[in-house]
Amino acid sequence: MKSDGAKRQRGARVTRGELFSIFLRAGLAFGGGLGILAVLEEELVDKRRAVTKEEFLTIYGIGRIVPSGTMTALAVAYGYRFGGLFGTVIALAALSIPVFVLTVALTIAYHYLRNTRLFDLLPVTIMPAALALIIVAALKLGKDVFRPSRELVIACSAFALALFLRLNPALILLVGGALGAFVLQKVEEESDAREKESGK
Amino acid sequence: MSLWKLALLIALFNVMTFGNGPVMIPLLQTHLVEGSRVLTEDQLLYAFTIARVTPGQANFYVASVGYMLYGMPGAIATTLAIILPGYIMIPLLHGYEYLHGSRWIRGFTQGLTVTSVGLILAAVVEIARATLTQPIAWIVLPATLILTQLLKWNIFVTLAVVGCLGLLFRWLL
Repeated sequence: MKSDGAKRQRGARVTRGELFSIFLRAGLAFGGGLGILAVLEEELVDKRRAVTKEEFLTIYGIGRIVPSGTMTALAVAYGYRFGGLFGTVIALAALSIPVFVLTVALTIAYHYLRNTRLFDLLPVTIMPAALALIIVAALKLGKDVFRPSRELVIACSAFALALFLRLNPALILLVGGALGAFVLQKVEEESDAREKESGK
Repeated sequence: MSLWKLALLIALFNVMTFGNGPVMIPLLQTHLVEGSRVLTEDQLLYAFTIARVTPGQANFYVASVGYMLYGMPGAIATTLAIILPGYIMIPLLHGYEYLHGSRWIRGFTQGLTVTSVGLILAAVVEIARATLTQPIAWIVLPATLILTQLLKWNIFVTLAVVGCLGLLFRWLL
């Protein structure tokens, strides 16, 4: 119990049950990452004051460079903080159960559809719509891409290398990242400086 | 392709793309659809649609891919493959100051993002060639873009409306 005292000083304690219910609610949030983030901020920062706003933003910042998806990383971070390794299992399970169950259910629905005449209708309904949604996802990723910039050059090269030379996308992705480490860090500095100036 | 190989491949792709669901599409398309031909374009698109209509993390549609290939064990294995790298978070929480200050890492992730925009669009062209064989599909696709982007419609309403639109044209023509 003494070891809890140290944690309590940093903020309110969150029990395992609460951890489960918070992340279950987050897992039921629509709108992808930002929807989940909004629930977590409300529960952990505003309602329970278990973490400060600064801590919340810092942990989000770290989560973004974790190669698993930011929200999965946040479940690990808060699960670990409030319940150790067992807490991570609780938070991950709560966050993932809704999406996992729904995904599997809808996949099973696909298998049933396959044997009906409805299946012939997918190519004129769901499939082109899905393709449009992929385009939307790409457009959202690239705010900097769609103006004359180094980003635009890299994106166009990746497009051409994948489509016309049929190079492996995994390879292109690694090269693009490595290139970015050299070429794009300077650009970020400039935009940082601009932000600072406008901040004044 | 064995279940192990599938799980490893998904784990690798997920790590490479920092767990970004849409960015994994070109990788899955090249390796599972074109490469080993275990998945069709339609199946991949259906799986991606699931990701758009379910709550929660956006990269969980790999569970759908896993289920299509190996049933429930496939769904569980692919899900674990994308969740477990999340544990890197624990050491990172300690070494954050060093990493955050690193311009190299920020440049690297920026490079990945920018590259993936090009790769996703290339994959869209590939998939469109294979799936948009009916003229009606070329009405549904721009209609979806307009409804979600310009008119900011909710995803469910959009899918319902363009679905009906597709059915209507199919019935008329």
